[in-house]
Amino acid sequence: MKRKRRTEILIEGDPSLAKELSEMILHKYRCKELVAPRQGMTMVKMRETAKNSLFYIGEVLITEAKVEVMDHIGAGIVVGIKEELAKQLAIIDAAYKAALPETEEWGKKLMEEEQRIKQAKIQEQEELLKTKVLFETMDV
Amino acid sequence: MGYVAVKGGTNAIEASIERIKYERIKDMEVVSVETILSSMRLLVDQVMSEASLYSPYLAALAIKQAEGSMEEAVFLLRAHRSTLPRLYYSRTVDPYEMFVERRISASFKDIPGGQLLGATHDYTHRLLDFQLLSETKQDLENWLAQYSAEKLPRATRNEITHYPKVVEYLRAEGLFETYEADNTSPDDVTKYSLQFPASRSERLQILTRGQTGAITSLGYASLRGYGQVHPTVGEVRVGRLPIYVSLENSEMTDPEDDYYLGEIKVTEVESFVPVTKKKNTNEHEIEFEIGYGVCYGQNETKAIAMSILDQCLEHPEESFATHDEEFVLLHVDSVESTGFISHLKLPHYVTFQSKLDSVRRVKQGGTENES
Repeated sequence: MKRKRRTEILIEGDPSLAKELSEMILHKYRCKELVAPRQGMTMVKMRETAKNSLFYIGEVLITEAKVEVMDHIGAGIVVGIKEELAKQLAIIDAAYKAALPETEEWGKKLMEEEQRIKQAKIQEQEELLKTKVLFETMDV
Repeated sequence: MGYVAVKGGTNAIEASIERIKYERIKDMEVVSVETILSSMRLLVDQVMSEASLYSPYLAALAIKQAEGSMEEAVFLLRAHRSTLPRLYYSRTVDPYEMFVERRISASFKDIPGGQLLGATHDYTHRLLDFQLLSETKQDLENWLAQYSAEKLPRATRNEITHYPKVVEYLRAEGLFETYEADNTSPDDVTKYSLQFPASRSERLQILTRGQTGAITSLGYASLRGYGQVHPTVGEVRVGRLPIYVSLENSEMTDPEDDYYLGEIKVTEVESFVPVTKKKNTNEHEIEFEIGYGVCYGQNETKAIAMSILDQCLEHPEESFATHDEEFVLLHVDSVESTGFISHLKLPHYVTFQSKLDSVRRVKQGGTENES
């Protein structure tokens, strides 16, 4: 599973999943902390829809961590102040980069979580649809 | 005339700082950051937007520390921002990817996907709700249980809906100009001092981090005749946008290898503005242009006012201050404007004494130029 998809699942999904996967690696491999979880910023570049040009809307606070597992460096980056999650994401990232055998078993779990996230979003949309206006033309 | 160093205020300043803490806590009521986060959502949004740092938690902390003063909270968050390293630049955020929580149009009744009111104060009675005085946590639990049990429908669809933009529907009809994607790297007003004429990216960056009141007032002034823009709101959207970064520092890397960071909530507005254009045949024709507004959080008044000012600044007019980018861009920043006004509280003893001396000499029959 590509990084974009799996990081979205791990960040939007149940926090216990990232914890569980990272602990599987920690129990079996040596993990060296290269960058302890720290706060920083990401400047957000955006495309505006009037002239189709780019501009910076502002910065977003993030937490970043970096670790090394089996000679592969992994990074964990997440919006907000989430030190544990950033480190767990970094461990999982390093595990994928090192192509550790454990990662081969993670696909099913990640896809199940992805489905739960999708259902939760569909449910949220359904709830918001209650506020959809149903216009009726009045006879005057 | 030079500056004169004075001392003697240290003890008074220390006592004053203790006094401001005393004022905050003297009634023995503790408001937690979590309470501010949960119950003052729109205030948190405004602080993040004006501070230009998206962090609901730190914005709530700033509100607590500032005793609810907007300008102080924005100053605190902006100051904290200056202590943090900028680690990454995001991939270009595409507003079409928004998870829409609210979208309305004042231009069309029937828009593809429909009008979704979402959460808004627009249709509430502006009467004080005295029941809130006795609101308890149990009341909240009861209301939420009833709301989710009786009122919320269960989803029957299998896919997440992405709402098309109203403007795309008009572009497809050829009523609005279509622009090729301009991938010019944006300028960054936090890195370089603003020079005039400003680029479009600088204008949008300054407006989106502008003080809500200032942006609203100048947009309102334009509507009232101190400008030439009176738009119809094409679409207001409130929703969440995903943020991605690539560690490879190149737009050429596979986007599927990006890191997903999380979401930010924004308000986005496209305003439709009629403009008269001269055609090749020398005839005048009315066309529509788009004023663009966007800001962190849910702050629709600011985003709409920004869309008015964006359009004003696209068409400079000497006779209107709201079309003058130096006037608008140099006066809408919260920290700059409140800071400069506040500096008037600082000692001006020497400069004022000098002015007094001049007045005294004139009153005594001398001239200002006497030594």
